[in-house]
Amino acid sequence: MIHSIIERVDRETPTTVSLLFPWDRDVLPGQFIMVWIPGFGEIPISLSYTGKIKGITVKRFGPTSTALTELKAGEKIFFRGPYGNTFRKTGGETLIVGGGSGMAGLLPLITSGSHGVVSARTRTELLFADRFSPERLTAVTDDGSEGIKGFAVEGLKHLDLDEFSMMYVCGPELMLKSVLDYISDKKIDADFSLERQMKCGIGVCDSCSMDGLQLCTQGPVFPKARLLNSREFGREKLSLSGKREKL
Amino acid sequence: MANLKTTITGIGLENPLMLASGILDENGYTMKNILESGAAAVVTKSISRSERTGYRPPIVAEVPHGLLNAVGLPNPGIDNFGNEMRIAREAGKPVIGSIFGGTAEEFTYVGRKMEEYGASALELNLSCPHVVGVGSEVGSDPELVEEIIAELKGKVRIPVWAKLSPNVTDILEVAEAAGKADAFVVINTVRGMAIDIHARRPVLSNSYGGLSGRAVKNVGIRYTYQLYKETGKVIIGVGGIETHEDAVEYIMAGASAVEIGTGVYTRGKTIFPEICRGISSFMDSEEISSIKDMVGVAVQ
Repeated sequence: MIHSIIERVDRETPTTVSLLFPWDRDVLPGQFIMVWIPGFGEIPISLSYTGKIKGITVKRFGPTSTALTELKAGEKIFFRGPYGNTFRKTGGETLIVGGGSGMAGLLPLITSGSHGVVSARTRTELLFADRFSPERLTAVTDDGSEGIKGFAVEGLKHLDLDEFSMMYVCGPELMLKSVLDYISDKKIDADFSLERQMKCGIGVCDSCSMDGLQLCTQGPVFPKARLLNSREFGREKLSLSGKREKL
Repeated sequence: MANLKTTITGIGLENPLMLASGILDENGYTMKNILESGAAAVVTKSISRSERTGYRPPIVAEVPHGLLNAVGLPNPGIDNFGNEMRIAREAGKPVIGSIFGGTAEEFTYVGRKMEEYGASALELNLSCPHVVGVGSEVGSDPELVEEIIAELKGKVRIPVWAKLSPNVTDILEVAEAAGKADAFVVINTVRGMAIDIHARRPVLSNSYGGLSGRAVKNVGIRYTYQLYKETGKVIIGVGGIETHEDAVEYIMAGASAVEIGTGVYTRGKTIFPEICRGISSFMDSEEISSIKDMVGVAVQ
């Protein structure tokens, strides 16, 4: 296990914090680490800061993520990695589409030429919306408290997708599926970063698999073409025990 | 090109390499993908009568020359496993059902279902905790092992393989008890543990785990050799195989086929075709015409 000391904690939303820590290691956007809270558990979290100082952005959810959001500067953070692949690089204007805490893994991709579709349950949960200039931001909220009311895909309907060279999408799988369905017959290409139940992070336990591929070692980023005819993406997954369930 | 085809307990294999139980064998599509990648057969994750969620992560630790794991035998329960078997079998290659339980009745219930689902053989995981004798494992209770195998052999028609644990004082005692099995699979993981000195506690949530990978290869070679020599049974070798030399070493020690688990983590899924190519060129250069001609040749 690798360990570091947390240098800074930034509160991003009422339920989400970023933990920044030094780690002398090259990492790529899209990659993740398995973060261990001794006594609680271990969860996969994508790196939201990939420069000299590394960082993760965590939303309070289960016991381990909640314990993570309560860590303070000066405390130890334990993790292993980096694991997983990265996004395809492209020139031109990119469209960044993030749902909920899915924006965390997309943060390293934001440039001055990016347009953001940032979606969340409600206004106060819009993550990293301030990283886009106002004219390059489409905010979407489930409850309509800010921007367009509805799910992320509603934000896409207000944009001319032909203006963008590439779309990068991260969020809950059903949100990704709705975006894929919407762009399936459109010209725009896209990379999707997936989140699934993950136990080992190194391609052995088969918990995160989809269509025979392991999200942890062969993903978590998959191109649009790979997902279009998937038998499991957005449809089925295995539970903690390995029981096949509808998403 | 040498011919890598072989048979084990009557099951035809296109090459001697199978996927070991516990690695990438919970989801039917993954097993199918591994078969399409070049494995001759796959052994499923160990399945029990009832659903189990397993331990909470960390369930695995990367250690020098291997992996340490305590996954906790998660499985959906045999009644929920039919769909995964159906998907895996679409590859048209043998799927071996790994099963476990605490009693002969449980093994029989799960084994019969596995046979119904189309398993080509059963592999008995005898390393699960044995509830009656707290602290021991089913595999270290020779009477129970004998009862389980006698019961199963009377109830299923497919071959029964007994996967033996190296964590016993005398493996021959357990092997004798498992004498009615059609083959022995050796070895299961070796008991181990890792502690994080900065966190000052065990890494695995279960504290204790099982060690696999290169670190245990020579333990596996030893038991393969000993069981082949002393029992004359069909042996399937497993433990730390990452190269064609490792596979040939197991075969020369007496294994008729081998299983690869941790090697898929260290080398990726291409390990199956890579080792096949290696065995084939080794056989060509040594003028060996079939896998069977190598089985046990090193045994003195």
